[in-house]
Amino acid sequence: MSESLTNPDAGLAGRNALVTGGSRGIGRAIVERLAGAGMDVTFTYLGNEAAANEVVSANPGLKITAVRVDARESEAVNQCVEALIERVGTIDVLVNNAGVIRDNLLPMLEDDDLREVFSTNIEGVFHFCRAAVPFMMSKRYGRIINISSVSADKGGRGQTNYAASKGAINSFTKALAVEVGRRGIRVNAVAPGVIETEMSKEVRDLAGEEIISNIVLKRYGLPSEIANAVWFLSSDLANYITGQVLSVDGGFKM
Amino acid sequence: MSIQDISKDDVMAIYPKVAEIIADALGCDEEEVQPDSSLINDLDAESIDFLDIVFRLEREFKVKIPRGKAIEEARGELSEEEFEQGGIVTDAGVAKLRTFLSEVPADRIKTPLKAAEIPKLFTTETFCKMVIREQQAGA
Repeated sequence: MSESLTNPDAGLAGRNALVTGGSRGIGRAIVERLAGAGMDVTFTYLGNEAAANEVVSANPGLKITAVRVDARESEAVNQCVEALIERVGTIDVLVNNAGVIRDNLLPMLEDDDLREVFSTNIEGVFHFCRAAVPFMMSKRYGRIINISSVSADKGGRGQTNYAASKGAINSFTKALAVEVGRRGIRVNAVAPGVIETEMSKEVRDLAGEEIISNIVLKRYGLPSEIANAVWFLSSDLANYITGQVLSVDGGFKM
Repeated sequence: MSIQDISKDDVMAIYPKVAEIIADALGCDEEEVQPDSSLINDLDAESIDFLDIVFRLEREFKVKIPRGKAIEEARGELSEEEFEQGGIVTDAGVAKLRTFLSEVPADRIKTPLKAAEIPKLFTTETFCKMVIREQQAGA
């Protein structure tokens, strides 16, 4: 057994991670999980500076840095990645978590509801991967984890835009995995089910009982349970896993 | 800027660093990298390796090498139709290539030449010239 597999940090301590959308919910849990594993974690946020500062101040002793970046703006993303490389030298793990939801029945969806969801959820992933992959290729080391959703595979009312963006993430994940595998970069996705976050509150309030009845484990998931899956896929324990979408949904789809 | 403006001295001035970068990117020994090595045919490079090499060259030499620019410059004043027809480089295009890629031994540019196979002609020296052209353009 190699040293990294017997080491509880599973090869992550001392490495650098970039997590998009890390100020709240699942993103925050991922930031705290990876930083807790000894990584130097930088996360991006867009609107909520107070929440971003809270993530940093709530975790004294962990290496966590918040930067304001709009994932929809490719040049801003390039600058963010360049600045991070200047500061820490490498991006070993990239977690594309930033995402938005604009649920509505198809006839009610405005152009902006489509644009907003696609520009953050999928263009943002393109932007960050395109900026970070060359640096990972140079180091022959990289782990990319894209946060997808159970919605990509299981149709949900009012989610045509969101579901399509998450389906795109799954396809993107598989295609990029093929492109960069030979250069030591693994690309996977984690598809959360219904997780107890602000973002899912509305859908839980509206259809709580119906949802729970469809979950094998009869409960919602916790942000930390998604973070654990991201930690695993980032670690050396997952060294033979690439191009996969790992469902973490309590059996929602069964 | 024409390629005639690039002297052998210009090339040799940056050659050691370029060869080191190519060896590093391809994971081969520096001795295997020769000025006239075809990266694809001799050093087993793949197209994604070109992106990595260009990325490393850009950072080392502080230049920006637009993707696909080598082919575009090779074409010179010829239109796309004049340069290639149905994926095959025209006679005029081949003549252009022989001048532009003067570092490539003439017997390697065989006709009919598929446009998609032009990158197979690229040698270590081709990448040196890419850097020099951008340095000159930025000077």
